[in-house]
Amino acid sequence: VMHLKYHGGYVVIRLALAGHKQANRPFYRIVAAYNKRARDGKYIEQLGSYDPIPNIYNEKLVSFNFDRIKYWIGCGAHPSKPVAKLLGLAGFFPLHPMTITEAERRRAKMELTETATKTEELEQL
Amino acid sequence: MFRVCIGGGGVQAARLLAPRSAVLVEAVRGRKSRSDPVAKSKAGRIKVPPPVDPVEMLVLKHRFSEYQLIMRALRLEFKEEMLRKKYEEETGSQAAERARQEAEEHRALMAWNNQENLRLLKIRMKRIQKEDEEAEAKKVDAALKREQELEEFIKEKEREILQLQEEAKSFITLENLDQRIEEALDNPKNYNFAIDKEGRVVKQTALQ
Repeated sequence: VMHLKYHGGYVVIRLALAGHKQANRPFYRIVAAYNKRARDGKYIEQLGSYDPIPNIYNEKLVSFNFDRIKYWIGCGAHPSKPVAKLLGLAGFFPLHPMTITEAERRRAKMELTETATKTEELEQL
Repeated sequence: MFRVCIGGGGVQAARLLAPRSAVLVEAVRGRKSRSDPVAKSKAGRIKVPPPVDPVEMLVLKHRFSEYQLIMRALRLEFKEEMLRKKYEEETGSQAAERARQEAEEHRALMAWNNQENLRLLKIRMKRIQKEDEEAEAKKVDAALKREQELEEFIKEKEREILQLQEEAKSFITLENLDQRIEEALDNPKNYNFAIDKEGRVVKQTALQ
């Protein structure tokens, strides 16, 4: 068994492309791997999956293996930003601050565009 | 070949300096290397990071500190849960019972194994006994055969000796020589005969 001994390496929980080799159709696996490994390379364990393209019912499917995620976080694994965001949206972690700020920014922009269109309509009239 | 002509830039510079088509076929990420010159449209460009809203930054800092606090607490909780599970796994209430059951199973299986070994041993002993008996029987048969053959051989030789002795009576010796020559000359024997395919023998010949 080819087992690398990492000196000062740590485990991360991150998304890895599942290698379906189709252009413009990604599919990610949520994976526990060593930090220095390639993104799609050999991982320690698969902890779930994430499909970023919405399906026919307009839902994006995510799956988690909470038991093993708890084990790895207890062993000292670092989750990456997108994984942390997904877990926050799922309710397992607290909501990531950036999701809240992004939502606020988008809402501010939408309100701006709404007011802009409203003033345009008023001026047209 | 191209690389030898254009020394420093490499293939990327070749693509820049001599594009055959109006639109370059590939737009690969990171086409330019460090030593390539900057494009004319980006001559006086100063890269500026995205603007930071101080109110938002304050709110974000507060949120992040909260988030990290909760994350640290979660991590410690998960670690504790893991350690508890491991501890229960090794020295818990179920562990002793499971160990006992496993020991019992092990003993039962070993006993069964020993029984099997005994049974097979008995079968093997019987088989070996049979084989020994057969070998002995074969040896005895072989010895008998050899003796029989010896006897037959001796009998054959005796028969031959007797036959020779009988033939010796009609041998030609020095005393009989003259007598036998005269006898042979007196009675000429005719060995000529004719035979056809049906087996009819004709002994009448032209000789005497």
